Amino acid sequence: MRDVFIVFRKELREILRDRRTLTAIALAVIATPTILFVISQVSVKTATQTYTIGYSGQIPAGLEVLFTATGLKLERVDDPAAAAKRQVDIGLAFSASGIDEYYDPTRQSAQIADIRVQTILGRYDAAKIAATLQEKGVDPSILDPLPVRSHPLSSPTQAASNAFLSFFLPYILITMSLTGGLSAALDSSAGERERKTLESLLLTPAPRGQLLIGKILAVSTISLLAAVASIGSMLVALSQISFGNGGGQNEHVALSPLAATVMLWLAVLLAASFSSVTIALGTLARNFRQGQAYATPLYFITIFPASIVLFIPDFNPGVAYYLIPILNAVLVLRDAIVHNSIEWTALAVTSVSLILTGALCFYAALRLFTREALLVRS
Amino acid sequence: MAAAVKVARLEKTLGSNKVLRGISFEAHSEEIFGLLGPNGAGKTTTLRIICTLLAPDAGSVGVLGFDTRTAPQEVRRRVGVVTAEIGVYPRLSARENIAYFAELSGLLDGDLDRRVDAVIERLDMASFASQRAESLSSGQKQKVAIARAIVHDPPVLMFDEPTSNLDVLASREIRQFMVESKGRGKCVIFSTHVLHDAERLCDRVTIIHQGRVVADGATADVRRGYQDLEDSFLALVETAK
Repeated sequence: MRDVFIVFRKELREILRDRRTLTAIALAVIATPTILFVISQVSVKTATQTYTIGYSGQIPAGLEVLFTATGLKLERVDDPAAAAKRQVDIGLAFSASGIDEYYDPTRQSAQIADIRVQTILGRYDAAKIAATLQEKGVDPSILDPLPVRSHPLSSPTQAASNAFLSFFLPYILITMSLTGGLSAALDSSAGERERKTLESLLLTPAPRGQLLIGKILAVSTISLLAAVASIGSMLVALSQISFGNGGGQNEHVALSPLAATVMLWLAVLLAASFSSVTIALGTLARNFRQGQAYATPLYFITIFPASIVLFIPDFNPGVAYYLIPILNAVLVLRDAIVHNSIEWTALAVTSVSLILTGALCFYAALRLFTREALLVRS
Repeated sequence: MAAAVKVARLEKTLGSNKVLRGISFEAHSEEIFGLLGPNGAGKTTTLRIICTLLAPDAGSVGVLGFDTRTAPQEVRRRVGVVTAEIGVYPRLSARENIAYFAELSGLLDGDLDRRVDAVIERLDMASFASQRAESLSSGQKQKVAIARAIVHDPPVLMFDEPTSNLDVLASREIRQFMVESKGRGKCVIFSTHVLHDAERLCDRVTIIHQGRVVADGATADVRRGYQDLEDSFLALVETAK
């Protein structure tokens, strides 16, 4: 195992002197908080934004106050329908028979204004009806014969935070585990061949299997570092950034210790598997550029399972699904974040699946690394 | 004197090309042995089999009593190879490049530093030993390539077209180094198609053509009857056709 350590230390030293790898990791660490900051600003701005209602006719008493208190500015216009096309966000024409609403659904501001108007008008109608019934001596609760009392078993705001994390975290974990070490993997395989150092390396008495393990360990370390650094920067950013929810409450998003532990374990397994795959592909390639071409499809293969939680948030598969590499990691991590618990069977199946995948990829890389064609094919 | 390297009836096919067709020769310690032939004759393939990078289809190779098939690691411990390819790790210094190969060759801490310092001094590399390899000239990189090949002090040294990418001064240094190594008791195998160099340096030569040995013996014997080794070589190759 001494040779493994020698190769590991040398590869790590070279990687840490490689601007490409360091730049990629630094960009990922900076990019995640930046994107989250932009999202939070847009979110806060959307929640506190004032929208303009262009209206005609007589506004019923009291309604004006409600509109203003909900961030809706009133502006008298001659033709609400024409004004709603561009001049204002929504047009309302008040008449004795009711209210005509004009808005352009292709405009996001019109959609948000419409939701606010509908909410205000619903409450206004309910209050009016209740007042009328009370005047006539009728209990207004007659309008709500089956009242619903909600008892959330966990904090709804925490649930929203978890849902947010359950999408972003697996996505970042998987993409960074792959891309964080990609450059290093190709450099230590295809690059070794391109620089004409491979033959000298294979001439040493060190067993080829140990040379390969040293390389995979170094690339895995960088992949893991990249993934943990990105997620760390994301969590630090989330602990500082507030997301406006329109209800006057600001919540910070945090990862539970259990989910963090599961995430680290999965990161180790994914980094080892991806490193073996990318080094195997790099060994097939004659140079760095060809290695990049071989590795490009990996982006699509990995991003699709990472996105499944976005498309099917309530996807609750059987144990067999946990045999599928990458998808299983996404599902286990999602469960750990959303439910703050571990399904041990699922975690065991996932671990075995990822370890087997890594072992198969290592075997493939070793076969490629020990064949004569590696040297004969220039 | 027992052969340091003994090649017997070596055969090798790469793809559909039968590169070696029963090559045999011996190289001894304290001599420079020339493996000569035109491009494509099979010289590099032969050297790669000797240093265990390739496995022979038939025949055998022994290096100081170790068979390349059954004891490849023992063979690699006893062989140093310098090729025309002077690839080095660009982000490591010259010293780090040499130390990496020294460690992989089994040298341990105290021995390692001593040997690395020794080869740096011997090849006059002290002025650029701390520089990153990416900033070195071709001649300096070639010295790094030689240093990493000899840092474990192997008794057998193989040079495969070592001067083909070098200028006159750097080429002369390589030739001097081969002569010096012979003086230190090493078995030096020099593969080249530059017959002028071979004639000046080699004690014995084997000429191969299309995977077969066409001449073998002391350099003076092989060129006997001709003006120089080049004439002898051309005549032998013509006859072999």
